[in-house]
Amino acid sequence: MRLDALERYADLDAPLQRLDARLKLVVAVVYVVAVVATPVGWWGTLAAEGLLMAFLVGLSGVPPRELAVRWLGFLVLFGFLTMMVAPARPERAGHGLAVVALTLLAKDTLAFLATVLLVQVTPFRTLLAAMRRLGVPAVLVSTLQFMYRYLFVLTEELDRMVTARRARTFRRSGRLDWGLLTGLVGVLFLRAFERGERVHAAMLARGWDGTVRTLD
Amino acid sequence: MPSDASPNPDAPAVRVRGLEYRYPDGRHALQGVELTVERGETVALVGPNGAGKSTLLLHLNGLLPGRGRAPVVHAHGPGAASRSPATAGPSVWIDGLEVNPKNAPEVRRRVGLLFQDPDDQLFSTSVLEDVAFGPLNLGMSRDEARRLALECLARVDLADAASRPPHHLSFGERKRVCLAGILACRPSVLALDEPTANLDPRGRRRFIDLIRGLPSAKLIATHDLEMVLALCDRVVLLDAGRVVADGPTRDVLGDAELLEAHGLERPLSLSTERSGWPGHG
Repeated sequence: MRLDALERYADLDAPLQRLDARLKLVVAVVYVVAVVATPVGWWGTLAAEGLLMAFLVGLSGVPPRELAVRWLGFLVLFGFLTMMVAPARPERAGHGLAVVALTLLAKDTLAFLATVLLVQVTPFRTLLAAMRRLGVPAVLVSTLQFMYRYLFVLTEELDRMVTARRARTFRRSGRLDWGLLTGLVGVLFLRAFERGERVHAAMLARGWDGTVRTLD
Repeated sequence: MPSDASPNPDAPAVRVRGLEYRYPDGRHALQGVELTVERGETVALVGPNGAGKSTLLLHLNGLLPGRGRAPVVHAHGPGAASRSPATAGPSVWIDGLEVNPKNAPEVRRRVGLLFQDPDDQLFSTSVLEDVAFGPLNLGMSRDEARRLALECLARVDLADAASRPPHHLSFGERKRVCLAGILACRPSVLALDEPTANLDPRGRRRFIDLIRGLPSAKLIATHDLEMVLALCDRVVLLDAGRVVADGPTRDVLGDAELLEAHGLERPLSLSTERSGWPGHG
């Protein structure tokens, strides 16, 4: 299953994996806030934050290559954000557009790496439990829990639909077929919606009354 | 006259009287269904696709409330005449307890509903957490719920899977976890929707043995007539929302004409068994 890659390093016996999930969650949030709050031109601070991240990646046992691949996947998004935000920043006057844009890109990258690394070294279930214990609202944690659980079910469903489509497609075309793609997305949405109703019925059938109760 | 306030030890496990239901689009799904399941009895609910089997099972749990009466939009159409007086009163009782919104929590505890697709029912991030979902909702303490969940997992032979995430289980294992999750609510009635569908022969055999070992009353909606033959005391044949036949398993499943008329086939094992006795054909 392709989504298994999400948790490949979560059960490694490495220092970061052994830490309490609550500590990791809090540290990650503090780190992201610190990175975001670093002003343009504070090169020393930014470098220190980058070094810290490199050190943590080293400790985690997650191959940097893998993180780089994910980062590349999000580069379009970062680029877009930077282009939108950088010209509007007042620091532009002192440092020039290129420097501001690169700083924003660096900050995005560090925040992104912190989040991905946190998820890589913590099994998602543990992370959810940590959120609950830290007082994150139960509705939010449950929503994340359902998202995580049904991500696997929906990708399997999507895989089957794509295979079925392929079995009935006889042309070979290098172009992306948008009509086909929108059809798939629509059907997937409908199926997810119907499944949502059935899951709700199954929860009611086992006595759910709107209150989230868990074992830990 | 069934009481409607408290469970009654002498009442049948399931009693359905004149049950009517329309889908939200106005289609008549159940038309005056009459059905009784005695305590400890195992009854099969058979019929073609779209006969209303799953819809009937959902009614046992009060999961399709308030649509018994025809929707208002149809009050002036041709469907208006089909509104019968039977739809006015309560139509389903579990252990003598009327299924209505007020009784829903108690009814849902008593009826264990197994869905056809285990992924609909396994929504927690770990197997143990999922099995403990029912007990926690019933108000058990975490320790009690954990103990009961482990016990139920052991009953379905999956004690070692407790900490695994559901997406790492095989289809058969997921199905068994769902059953454990239901058993953990200690139901007096099991409503099983296609319990053997999509299982491989070994998984199917295992599941049938598991179901056989459970003492509660069972209503099993299925197309697996060989399983019906192996497990059930009685068969109720449903087609187009009506009960067409209700009788001992061998009588109903032996009636080839009746089965064919409703999109089913006489189980092979009965056919071969009977071919030895031409007089019984």
